[in-house]
Amino acid sequence: MKILIATSCVPFIRGGAEILADSLRDALRAAGHEAELAAIPFKHYPPERIPDHMLACRLLDLTETCGVRIDRVIGLKFPAYLIPHPNKVIWLLHQHRTAYELWDHPRAGDLIHYANGPVIREAIHQADRELIPEAKAVYTLSQNVSGRLRRCSGIGSEPLYNPPAHAGLFYNRPAGDYLFFPSRITAVKRQWLAIQALAHCRERVRVRFAGGADSPMQQAECDNAVRELKLGDRVEWLGVVSEEQKRDLYANSLAVIFPPVDEDYGYITLEAMLSSKPVIACSDSGGPLEFIVDRKTGLVASPTPESLAQAMDALWVDRRCAAAMGEAGRARYEDLNISWKNVVEKLLC
Amino acid sequence: MLKINWFSPLPPARSGIAHFTMQVLPLLAKRREVALWTDQDQVSPEVQRIARVTRYTPDDPPWRKINDGAISIYHLGNQPDLHGGIWQVSVRQPGIVVLHDLCLHDFFFMLWIHYKKDRVSYLAALERWYGEEGRQAGQAFCAGGIGAESMAQRFPLTREAVQGALGVITHSRGALEALGEAPGCPVAALDFPYAAAAESRYREWMAARSAAPRPPYRLVVFGYLSRNRRLGAVLDALAGFNAREQFRLEICGQLWDEANTRTQIERLGLSSLVKLRGFLPEPLVEQKLSTADLAINLRYPSMGEASLSQLQFWDYGLPTLVTRTGWYASLPEDATAFVRPEHEVEDIQSHLRAFLADPGAFRAMGERGRQSLEHNDPEKYVDAMTQFAAMALRRSPLVTALALAGRVGNDLSAWLHPAASAYLLDRASQEIVTIWPGKPRGYP
Repeated sequence: MKILIATSCVPFIRGGAEILADSLRDALRAAGHEAELAAIPFKHYPPERIPDHMLACRLLDLTETCGVRIDRVIGLKFPAYLIPHPNKVIWLLHQHRTAYELWDHPRAGDLIHYANGPVIREAIHQADRELIPEAKAVYTLSQNVSGRLRRCSGIGSEPLYNPPAHAGLFYNRPAGDYLFFPSRITAVKRQWLAIQALAHCRERVRVRFAGGADSPMQQAECDNAVRELKLGDRVEWLGVVSEEQKRDLYANSLAVIFPPVDEDYGYITLEAMLSSKPVIACSDSGGPLEFIVDRKTGLVASPTPESLAQAMDALWVDRRCAAAMGEAGRARYEDLNISWKNVVEKLLC
Repeated sequence: MLKINWFSPLPPARSGIAHFTMQVLPLLAKRREVALWTDQDQVSPEVQRIARVTRYTPDDPPWRKINDGAISIYHLGNQPDLHGGIWQVSVRQPGIVVLHDLCLHDFFFMLWIHYKKDRVSYLAALERWYGEEGRQAGQAFCAGGIGAESMAQRFPLTREAVQGALGVITHSRGALEALGEAPGCPVAALDFPYAAAAESRYREWMAARSAAPRPPYRLVVFGYLSRNRRLGAVLDALAGFNAREQFRLEICGQLWDEANTRTQIERLGLSSLVKLRGFLPEPLVEQKLSTADLAINLRYPSMGEASLSQLQFWDYGLPTLVTRTGWYASLPEDATAFVRPEHEVEDIQSHLRAFLADPGAFRAMGERGRQSLEHNDPEKYVDAMTQFAAMALRRSPLVTALALAGRVGNDLSAWLHPAASAYLLDRASQEIVTIWPGKPRGYP
């Protein structure tokens, strides 16, 4: 089959969604199909740009290329999943989140700050309600995303888990003296919460952050917080690291900290499990909670600096317990039977 | 629950719309969470007991807080000092516009020319809605070559006030269409809300009025007395009426040109018959209306507005002279005495003569007016308003669709030959309608 993966991208930003799109393309090719990515650049501000991009997607014709039929389009991200095609399936990574669950989030909300934010939000809601059901089938990244889609748009869907990229290459080593926080630096990932938590830790817990910042302002906010809280000797910013470095950082960590707000899925949780490391998340972290078994494969804290600090201290002082949780996490990953083969079969059926 | 942002003049502002808000607000606040927004310097404490009041700066509204509400309701009228800020917000955030006046030329003229010193925007608005004729008339008006009344009637600028609105509420059935100013959004014509006094109280007023020695009979003019209230004609009619000594006229309310009115009263020799009372506090309002015999409530030209004063007069069972125009023309024939705009003095005098001949007939007219107030039940008004707001909110994606269509059209016309743009415009239109159909999925 000739398959196009329709997604959107924010130029110069790379995160889990981009990794997933690449991995899906590779999995489709490995299964013997011709697969390409069609990534639509997306600028989400000011709000009136959003309907512009929605219309642009609707005006694209992906039915054929050079006279040859494109057999299937797989839509991943807003607004690219609105591109019409007679054989479209949607594997929804997420809707436009600041029009939904992040609308009034104190740090992540953006539309809400604009005069025309409410009407643009309603326009997005209506477009989703009208056009997502055009697809032959709707899958999502996780139960979390399926739940949102059902609650907000009244649309049923099936969660479809996928493995992290290079899942077979993760490994474990004896725990070092740091917690690892790999993620894009942005408000919803809540690096700021981890920094505040460090200030509340009783132990001299150290955290190593890896990942690029979405904007210089986001990094500056984190740097300022570290300076103000006098945590310079307990925090390390590694920036963007290679895949090899990342696996090494996982392997040598004591535990992984990943407390985002209502994450769609969270490869980081799965990568930590593959590395036999326990994961600390928050009770409002969304996707990661589908995988973490509290007190068995990780710890689920309340989304407050104090509660998160308590969890960080707990693993810091009980390294044996941390190691056991990590092993249990690895075993749980194997039990979940997450594979690209399964994903490809579903998306092409 | 639908949280409502309410933008309106609030007490102590001297405005019938502030009074209207105090009638409606307590009922609305029982049904919905309401946030009140104001740019006034002062707000009466009783308002703050009903709903939370937040201040805003019209040039830089706190959108984050405003957007906690599901929908904004904007009350517009002809007082630029009270409605200018509200209009500025309404332009930037679509909501429900309640038109308390339908002809808003005076509002925009005062706002742009007097307050903002922005002649360009004023003329651009006239050109936007009325073409070159509107622009030229605006220039002539600024130069003093056209009368304000003529401008208001020919170029009411109502659409300037409601462009982009999710919905419009008027209190005047069919008047927008009659003006030729129908907006491109749903319009609800609701009977102006008015909570009539208890029947027992009404009977007391009637008894007191019947018992008072007459003549002289008491005439009353009431409310915010702008130039269209025809005070000049009323004074001329009284001055030229043979039996004028049978009447006393009290003018109660803020006058737009008090000095001129005083001069006219003296010139016509009416100083002993006519008194200017100014703006009255509530207890004095009751005292005046419960002892009056006939109210004079003229408007010409009409700005299309419903008259709170008229409903107050009826509440007190007061017979009323009204101009046969705008909202007033739709009032029950048997509950009002009409004055033709082109024969004002003649008709006023004719009604005064009829009154002296049969005061009982006029009292019966006032009684019928009082009975008609059942249509103005504020509870019904609030229910209808919230239902309309919910319906309009569901249509809000169409605002985005129309704005997008406009942008596409403008963009294409800038670089594409008209012959070639037809196909693209057609495709874009089709897709816009596909994304945002007029009747969304799942809505009745």
